[in-house]
Amino acid sequence: MNVQALFVSMLPEHLLLSGLCVALAIDIAARSPRAVAAVALASILGAALAAVLLAAGGYASATFVGQLSVGPTTSVAKAIVLLLAVPVLALSRDEFRDARFVLLVLASLYGACLVISSDSFLTLLLGLEVLSLPVYALVLLAMQRPSSAEAALKYLVLGGTATGMLMMGASLTYGWGGTLALSAFAQALEAPSAMAGAGVALVLSAFFLKAAVVPFHAWAPDAYEGASVPATAYMATIVKATILLAVVRLFGAVELSPTMTAFVAVPPLVSIVWGNLAAIRQQGFRRLIAYSSIAHAGFLYLALLGAPAGRFQAVAFYAAAYGFMNLLAFAALPHAGDDLRDDRIDALRGLYQRRPGAAAMLAVAMLSLAGLPPLPGFVAKFLVFRNVIDAGHTAIAVLGLLGSYLGLYFYLRVIQAMFMSAPSAGEAGTATLRRYALAATLAALVPVALATVFPGWVLGMLRA
Amino acid sequence: MAEALALNAVLFLPVAGIAYTALARDARPDAVRGVSFALMLVQFALVAWLYLVFDPAEPGLQFATRLPWIPDWGVSYLIGLDGFNVLLVLLTAFLGPIVVAGAWTAIDRDVRLFHAMLFLIQFAMVGTFVAQDLFLFYLFWELMLVPMFLMIGIWGGARRIYATVKFVLYTAFGSILMLAALIYLVWSLKSTSGIVSFAFADLVHAGLPPQVQAWLFAAFGLSFAIKVPIVPLHTWLPDAHVEAPTAGSVILAGVLLKMGTYGFMKLGFPLFPDAARAAVPLVMTLGVVSIVYGACLALVQTDIKKIIAYSSISHLGYAMLGLASLDLIGIQGAVMQMVSHGLTAAGLFLMVGMIYERCHSRDLADYGGLAKLAPVYAAFFVVLTLAAIGLPTTSGFTGEFLALLGTFRTAWQAHAAGNDTLLWLAAAAVLGVVLGALYMLWFAQRFLFGAARVPQGPVADLRPREVAVLAAIVAAVFWLGLAPDAPMRRTELAAQQMRGIVLGDRPLVALP
Repeated sequence: MNVQALFVSMLPEHLLLSGLCVALAIDIAARSPRAVAAVALASILGAALAAVLLAAGGYASATFVGQLSVGPTTSVAKAIVLLLAVPVLALSRDEFRDARFVLLVLASLYGACLVISSDSFLTLLLGLEVLSLPVYALVLLAMQRPSSAEAALKYLVLGGTATGMLMMGASLTYGWGGTLALSAFAQALEAPSAMAGAGVALVLSAFFLKAAVVPFHAWAPDAYEGASVPATAYMATIVKATILLAVVRLFGAVELSPTMTAFVAVPPLVSIVWGNLAAIRQQGFRRLIAYSSIAHAGFLYLALLGAPAGRFQAVAFYAAAYGFMNLLAFAALPHAGDDLRDDRIDALRGLYQRRPGAAAMLAVAMLSLAGLPPLPGFVAKFLVFRNVIDAGHTAIAVLGLLGSYLGLYFYLRVIQAMFMSAPSAGEAGTATLRRYALAATLAALVPVALATVFPGWVLGMLRA
Repeated sequence: MAEALALNAVLFLPVAGIAYTALARDARPDAVRGVSFALMLVQFALVAWLYLVFDPAEPGLQFATRLPWIPDWGVSYLIGLDGFNVLLVLLTAFLGPIVVAGAWTAIDRDVRLFHAMLFLIQFAMVGTFVAQDLFLFYLFWELMLVPMFLMIGIWGGARRIYATVKFVLYTAFGSILMLAALIYLVWSLKSTSGIVSFAFADLVHAGLPPQVQAWLFAAFGLSFAIKVPIVPLHTWLPDAHVEAPTAGSVILAGVLLKMGTYGFMKLGFPLFPDAARAAVPLVMTLGVVSIVYGACLALVQTDIKKIIAYSSISHLGYAMLGLASLDLIGIQGAVMQMVSHGLTAAGLFLMVGMIYERCHSRDLADYGGLAKLAPVYAAFFVVLTLAAIGLPTTSGFTGEFLALLGTFRTAWQAHAAGNDTLLWLAAAAVLGVVLGALYMLWFAQRFLFGAARVPQGPVADLRPREVAVLAAIVAAVFWLGLAPDAPMRRTELAAQQMRGIVLGDRPLVALP
């Protein structure tokens, strides 16, 4: 094995790992959360830069043959995930005074990078666990609330179930094909064998569960509501993006047969409809975002119906656009407190009168999530549905678009509360400007603005 | 070159306005109003210049700018003026400063946000008209929803939330199907000719089979029909108009409603010619139904804003009728009718707003004899009323007469070929003219004449600002009524082209 290749191909991971070690040492020796956060930010930015440079150079290498390989698309995927982490980190500084959040995020990001470049079920499982275990702890960090423990436990149990299903599926695929390579999954997709079929079904279900697609979605609203804002932001954006990028890698260059198309299309379509309908009734902002993320997971999965060559671009753009829009919303959210009372949408009433800038940012985020042009959310949806129609699934695209129409109302409801209602009594005094929220807003706004004005350029960067 | 730059400036001046309103945190409301008015005036001046240098003898796009925007998808930033949009852009830019001046005293809350929304909607409207790329068109088309949603929802009347949500959900439903159809259309173009492009000029050559055309025409048509609005898709309009602030009503009636007819003219008919020809009887029928039904509804309203709202449905029925006649005169008449309605409805809504500011009532039963109390107001009201019902020398006559003339010419040819349906429809449309005169004159009579009474105390006559605003509109009304030649010449080639695309070399009598 070439030592140089080992060093270069996994440079983002190495930077994250060394950042984690240094940050831990600082935390133990100096107890300076500021320094820890600075080191973490530097290592994430460094890792993202390394990933961008690797992608720009078209670097490709099978570092551990059959287990882990790096190509331009994996580097682009890593860059997206890492850049999404920057606003999350900024958000967490207002919430948590100590270094735990930052350290857990660094560890989890390492797992995300592993998942993205894995070639076998073994590495994939390893990466998924490294990705998920810190997140269980992240949810639990908002311990002041009893619901936080409940949410963490629910997330842990269902996350464990997903891992179990994935392992079982991988074993069945192994039993059928005699290999743990991810490419075996792609072959098993079309194999006329009960064992292979069961394996595929289990693996897919595991990924549906991880991404909160109906009927495996019930954990998401509780987990999102129970966790703190930055932890919710992390789950809704980075975890979801990583899972979907892994699914694209899993499907490889396979053209779906009509049966598989139905199997892959129906849960996401139901997810879009159900997520959007259930969101209408929500009173809490984080539950609303949870149901919206269930619907968006549906759109992301629909991208798999497109031609194999365009899948990565669609998922990468969608995940990035969705992630940054969500982060923009979370960053502009005026209440940092964990109090569930503050989380109500009613608490946003009259926000424009109190903090016009925050209201405008939240409105932009909501409109983009609703998929109104010219915001990136629209371009992302357009990209997905263009690929779906190109592949000949016009009916599915029409159903998906009608489903997205159902979501329009509840996003507008948030805007309505902010702009068209007078502040309810007692809300006026609670608006305090958070120091780091501004940084988080900027870190999320810049990519959103770029994708709005130069969608062609961004899409060109993400081409597989 | 300078003209192309000017057109880009016209499009992006409102963005500068938005930036100004966002940055001028401490500006006094009057300063915000003044700067907004000045910016809108500059925009209008630029458009007026472009209108003057627009060459009527040049069949293609003029002052075009084309820049690749999303090269992978064949999307480009392609804008330009042609015979169809030049008058509508002129109308939009003309109403810009008028709306700002008209809302000077009516809006006293969140003034900066209000003007930001005015600029945003101006940006979206001009963009929808000048866009020559379907993707770009769709962006601007959808962008119009957001500022209108906020404008009705923030500054509207008592039931504003209901009205604005209804407006958005209604119109967005149409657009979502249009989105599916436009993706399918571009994909079809790629699979038949290998060209990946969203440019209107390329999409016209998609060469779709008639059955596919029917589906796509239905999807596009539904979206446009909701915007026009054509009966029975009109129920959002009265609510939106009644609850909207005056500025919102003026923009809605003045420009937004033209988007539907413009969409049919620019996209629906030329992109799907076979389906459009087959749909001519249906579109004509719906047009006539809109004319008559809208007029009947206007006749029985007691809310003065609702009378004008329903009259809009009736008046735009003529535009649909003229368009569907596929006759050169009829199509040109439809354009004139759109512009004319934009002027008269905007003027009437402004006047309703002025009286509402003074008396805080929109109930017709509360008013009477305004001619004695406010003679200047009454004079302007009579002129605009007569223009709305199509008195010769006003713009309303030009539009209605030409649209009907075109309809009769087509109907007569169909009659000669043994089909009398169109002739009956045309006759029914003339009935609408009578009904129109009936409800408008009856309205004016009850409103202006008889025993003098107003709901609250003595009513002040028009202030100089209001006189100036209305005088500008009346001047435009007479310009189009007395000298329609110059604007008509600018639409002629475009109308001819559209007719050529839809009919091909088939004779008119081949119409079903």
